[in-house]
Amino acid sequence: HNQPSTMRYAQLVMGPAGSGKSTYSRIIQAHCEASSRTAHVINLDPAAEEFEYPVSWDVREVISVEDVGETLNLGPNGGLIYCMEFLLSNLEVLDEVIGDFGDDYLIFDCPGMIELYTHVPVMKTFVNYLQQRDYRVCAVYLLDSQFVDEPSKFFSGVLSATAAMLHLSVPHINVLSKMDLVKRNPAVRRALENYLDPNTTYLLQELNEQTTEKQHRLNEALASLIDDYSLVSFVPLDQTDEESIEIVLQHVDRCLQYGEDEEVKDHDVRCFCALNSEWFLAQLTLRETATVGRAG
Amino acid sequence: AAAAAAPESASAGPSGGAGDAPKKAPCVVVIGMAGSGKTSLVQRLNAHLHQQEEPVYVVNLDPAVINLPYDANIDVRDTVNYKEVMKQYKLGPNGGIVTSLNLFATRFDQVLALLEKRAPENRCILIDTPGQIEVFTWSASGAIITETLGATLPTVVVFVIDTPRCTAPVTFMSNMLYACSILYKTRLPFILAFNKTDVVSHDFAVQWMTDEDAYQDALEAETSYSAGLARSMSLVLEEFYANLRCVGVSAYTGDGMDEFFSAVDEAVGEYYSEYLPVIERLRAEKAEKEKEQKAASLHKLQEDIRSGGRVVIDGASSAAAASARATRVSFFDGEDEDDEGSDYEEYE
Repeated sequence: HNQPSTMRYAQLVMGPAGSGKSTYSRIIQAHCEASSRTAHVINLDPAAEEFEYPVSWDVREVISVEDVGETLNLGPNGGLIYCMEFLLSNLEVLDEVIGDFGDDYLIFDCPGMIELYTHVPVMKTFVNYLQQRDYRVCAVYLLDSQFVDEPSKFFSGVLSATAAMLHLSVPHINVLSKMDLVKRNPAVRRALENYLDPNTTYLLQELNEQTTEKQHRLNEALASLIDDYSLVSFVPLDQTDEESIEIVLQHVDRCLQYGEDEEVKDHDVRCFCALNSEWFLAQLTLRETATVGRAG
Repeated sequence: AAAAAAPESASAGPSGGAGDAPKKAPCVVVIGMAGSGKTSLVQRLNAHLHQQEEPVYVVNLDPAVINLPYDANIDVRDTVNYKEVMKQYKLGPNGGIVTSLNLFATRFDQVLALLEKRAPENRCILIDTPGQIEVFTWSASGAIITETLGATLPTVVVFVIDTPRCTAPVTFMSNMLYACSILYKTRLPFILAFNKTDVVSHDFAVQWMTDEDAYQDALEAETSYSAGLARSMSLVLEEFYANLRCVGVSAYTGDGMDEFFSAVDEAVGEYYSEYLPVIERLRAEKAEKEKEQKAASLHKLQEDIRSGGRVVIDGASSAAAASARATRVSFFDGEDEDDEGSDYEEYE
């Protein structure tokens, strides 16, 4: 069980919808491949639609939100929870899949929904399952750097990451994604630098400016938590910069105690959720309804 | 306070006390994890106010809800068809919901104008949010909606907790950390609503929040977590609890409604006395900087649309553009009440 030769490695990629999990999986996979580390991306999100990466295995081969939504008349949330619970009660399906990958490095693109980490112990059960099969597991929690443009939002991000990781009890890394989208804004970039290597004195000062006086003691307590525990620091990820990708992977490797030097390859990927806006904006009309019982 | 009066609304000037200003209904933004019972709670609050013959105004922001158990005055589903968004842009359910809400946020200036008009004649404006919490808390549109609401009307955030599902100490801590995260995200007065007290009373939660040792004992009995980390987190949470308003409610039986509304009233007091001055100061500080940025983003958006180009919806530029739209109403406010834009209908 503890023999290093049989030790296998896996990353769980987590974060809110739109935080860049899929993109992360793709660039890390490509980076691994470029440095002759065989890595597979496995989609664990039963609500996923399209992938930017070559999917080595897809949970939707077993069950998808689309299937259950139609047959069980569940909404997207209920559907997602149902699918994950279904998968976990049929984990033998995964035995075969994981067996096929041998000792290859696995990247699990996970569903973002926080409830799967806290209220239903779905992700915890999954981590246990991997650990029983000699996987070392590292959780990677992504936050979109565009939403972390001021200290209070950084603190908010730290707290939401912590809430998600609390249950998993595995090494954990926070990644600020989409740095390439904010790096051209010098003000944002400067602010972000204060989060990456948290300068709590500065953050606290800024935060106290932005919050009510009653909240200052809470700010201080939170700042000292960030000072005391490096688990709440963030690694920046700029997907257009190979060095940045390499640094993120090194952090994960250190967590996993994966000891290999990687080579660097140029890889430029950008992904947006794009909209042809003209048609759609024309469709938007607002309606106000007077409900029964309202005075007047 | 003079700078605070800024370009906002002509109908209200709540600098300082709320006493002399015309009464404005508080906006109660109901946030919670999937399954916590947000929608049922909104239904119950709505029914309760109707029973008391108090007028109430309800807004639904969940584009994917299938059955809404109450009549919404404004329903995002009337504006955006989430299934159609998914189909048009080949998005999954998550992308569909996020995009639908982003699209709706581009019309939030109109919503805001309506809410401002309705605020004096209602007891309360209830705002129901998408089932999956992160769609609202970690999205450009959620931030725009709470920020513009908070800057316009007395706004209170209610975090709904699934009480029976957080009786385990670690889950409880997760919930509290997440609640605290929302406090930082929204920077608005905050109420914790322990829902489903008909199933499990929230007494255990109150005990854990007031008696640190009781919580530590429970935690240590259950988990192998490093005591140091748990203790540090508890220190944070202790400060969080210190200024927190919490009520136990049951959307099912209707328990706790009076306590809930007195908590809302208290929170509204806090909004005027503590939050609004901060909001106004920050707004004054930012006004100059933002005006330039918004003009630039708006210009870019217009250019994109004119050239039939593609607009990045999942990004900062759309957030800035939508926020420019959402706040633009305030620059023209007070000119003409009836001129509220041409592309919405109002049914009276």
